[in-house]
Amino acid sequence: MSAGPLATASPKGFNTADLRGAGWRWRSRGAPYLFILPYLVLNLVFFLYPLIYATVLAFYQTNGPARRAFVGWGNFSYVVKDPDFHKALWNTTIFAVFSIGLQLPLSLGLAMLLNAKNDRLKSIFRLAIFAPNLVGQVFVGIIFSVLFAPHYGLLNRGLHELIGWGLEQQWLGDPKLVMPAIIIAAMWMYVGFNMIYFLAALQNVDQSLIEAARIDGAGPASIFWNVTVPAIAPVATFVVVTSTIGSYQLFELPYNLLQNNGGGYGPSNSGLTVVGYLYQNAFANGDLGTGAAVGWLLTFIILIISVIQIRIVGSVGSES
Amino acid sequence: MRFPYGPAPLVILILAIVTGIGLAVWVPLSRPPGYKAPDLVLATFVSEQAEVYRAAIARFDEENHCTVQVELVDQKALQSRLQSALQVGADVPDMVELMYGTIGVFTKGPLEDVGFIDLTKRIKETGLSDQLVANRLSKWSSRGHVFALPHDVHPVMLVYRRDLAEQLGIDVNKLTTWDEFSRVGREVVKKSLRPDGIPGHYMIDLPTDGNDALILLLLQHGVTLFDANGHVAFDNEATLDVVCWYVQQVEGPGRISFPCGEGQNFDKAMIDGLCLFYFCPDWRSNQIQQEVPSLAGKLALMPLPAWEPGGIPTSTWGGCGLAFTKQCRNFDLAWKLAMYLYYDPAQLGPRFADTHILPPLKAAWGRPEFDQPSPFYSNISLGKAYSALAPLVPKEHDTAYNTLANAKLSEAFSYTSIYYKQHGNSGLREYARSELKRCADRVRLAMSRNVFLNSDSEQLPEASSK
Repeated sequence: MSAGPLATASPKGFNTADLRGAGWRWRSRGAPYLFILPYLVLNLVFFLYPLIYATVLAFYQTNGPARRAFVGWGNFSYVVKDPDFHKALWNTTIFAVFSIGLQLPLSLGLAMLLNAKNDRLKSIFRLAIFAPNLVGQVFVGIIFSVLFAPHYGLLNRGLHELIGWGLEQQWLGDPKLVMPAIIIAAMWMYVGFNMIYFLAALQNVDQSLIEAARIDGAGPASIFWNVTVPAIAPVATFVVVTSTIGSYQLFELPYNLLQNNGGGYGPSNSGLTVVGYLYQNAFANGDLGTGAAVGWLLTFIILIISVIQIRIVGSVGSES
Repeated sequence: MRFPYGPAPLVILILAIVTGIGLAVWVPLSRPPGYKAPDLVLATFVSEQAEVYRAAIARFDEENHCTVQVELVDQKALQSRLQSALQVGADVPDMVELMYGTIGVFTKGPLEDVGFIDLTKRIKETGLSDQLVANRLSKWSSRGHVFALPHDVHPVMLVYRRDLAEQLGIDVNKLTTWDEFSRVGREVVKKSLRPDGIPGHYMIDLPTDGNDALILLLLQHGVTLFDANGHVAFDNEATLDVVCWYVQQVEGPGRISFPCGEGQNFDKAMIDGLCLFYFCPDWRSNQIQQEVPSLAGKLALMPLPAWEPGGIPTSTWGGCGLAFTKQCRNFDLAWKLAMYLYYDPAQLGPRFADTHILPPLKAAWGRPEFDQPSPFYSNISLGKAYSALAPLVPKEHDTAYNTLANAKLSEAFSYTSIYYKQHGNSGLREYARSELKRCADRVRLAMSRNVFLNSDSEQLPEASSK
């Protein structure tokens, strides 16, 4: 067997290996680096440098280009003790739990429905369910702020017509209803997105295994738990982890939903998220150091949760 | 000759070269012939103002043999970009219009670090301080130094459905205090109850979470979030009065208000007469006229009811100011432009007729446009009505902690509101007092961390210059 295409003789009998000089070696070895150079440069300038700078910034208070003061762990200790940060973390965690607890089963259910039969309307439904994701959080925030409006909002009007209740319900003005409103809006937006992943995974489940299970007398529930779930476990892990990360990065949706309802993050900060808290400190209050500290704390929180999730979901998958 | 790495990289390389050359050529070509870099750049976030300035600037350019460029930038983008640019010393416009409540972020540290030119001396020397509504300068000041020129006054009145008020037998002349207003409001709500228990009319549009309405009522009652020295000042008895009164108007059995929101919902509520009275600063009077033309002749304006008989019958809501960055290339020319755009009485008359925005230059109020009756508002002269209230507009003081203070005040209000829903009036004042104290202390704590504000940081051994 030949060593590779370069070592083979040309049709005219000329051995291309003869061309291997210093120039060719440089070109063959240097070329990959040359091709990834633009990416590396961009990565260094727009990712690595800001990352290092943010780390430094987290230990400073800054004021304009000319002044900064070292505060040690002061920014971190302030954030960790701040009740607003606790509130933001609690709100974000509630959102993440409900996102995963409600959105993902719904996404999987829809994916299974669409995967069940070769329905002609399948592609239309798939597009319709996925479409909300195309418009972006800002648009969804604005749309839902109108839908949730008391007295004139579509939701309240509908509820009033159907059950005679809810005309004046203030979804975005009542601290107890702000988070459910955000979860509803997010669900509308992301269920279709996650459904696409599950649908792709379901379409790749080995049909022969399902057939074999059926022949062995397994019912639909047994097939689902013992064949389908293990088969889609890697995708499920990916969806759970990315949904959790996305949930902890939540900002635009509550920001637009609540800012368009008069500003702030809802009554009693009921819609304040960790990234909202970061934005508030860094840009509204002009304290970039505290903002950077919040950013790092958020990174560690996401990292820890993701590692735990990967371990749990991974072990469930391997046991199955 | 064959490209050694295959056709795909060759195509990528060609595309990169072509687009690179294209960009290099397109930028100079996209400029009109004879293009000259502008002598001054003015950035604003208000599209109506940008239009007005662009129309007026041609004459200024001609008279002063210069070129002024007006850039329209979204408010949030303008603020964050300006903050970032000042932070890193990058290029910034010569003049910038700032939104109310934002100057504090730029004046957070020692005065010499502020990225804007201190206008205090120039304002005194030119006598401008005597010509403008005095209280408007405080909004754009920090520690007694003025950093921007006020564009407006924005006195607040109440706009009301005159036709419905007459039908319901409301005598607006008797609504001189908020307590009386509230009493009449309760009667209106009670009378208009529908079979499903929902009122057909509410007395006033008030957001349930306080927000701008609460702030303007506090200002009317003499409360500012911060005092002139930048200290937190909202945990006092006057704030308690307003918070406890407000809570009872938006919650519980004596509720007289509905949160109409903004935009289409607000317009629909006005058309339907869902609320009878709405806060109406000068800018909103124009907005309403544009957005709900069907209400022409059905609306009228009145001063705010006072907190006590004979008290101040107005407040203020909103505003913008013009700051000059320290990188301004020609401050004298920029100042001249500011006087031309902001304080030229000949321009301010027609501008008021277009926008209803009352300028802070008192001399302009004598122009005929300010006397014109408005058929839309039942032939009231808006100029006369708003200018009569302008000298009474309360002072405001902005700091970098405005957003936090607003959020904390709103938090104290929300918890008080929840308490009122659960316990009624019993212990309400004590609870509200403790909440206000807790929230004000939280702002104080955040402010106490500002190493630049709490000492002359240039003398701080730990403060190092970059």
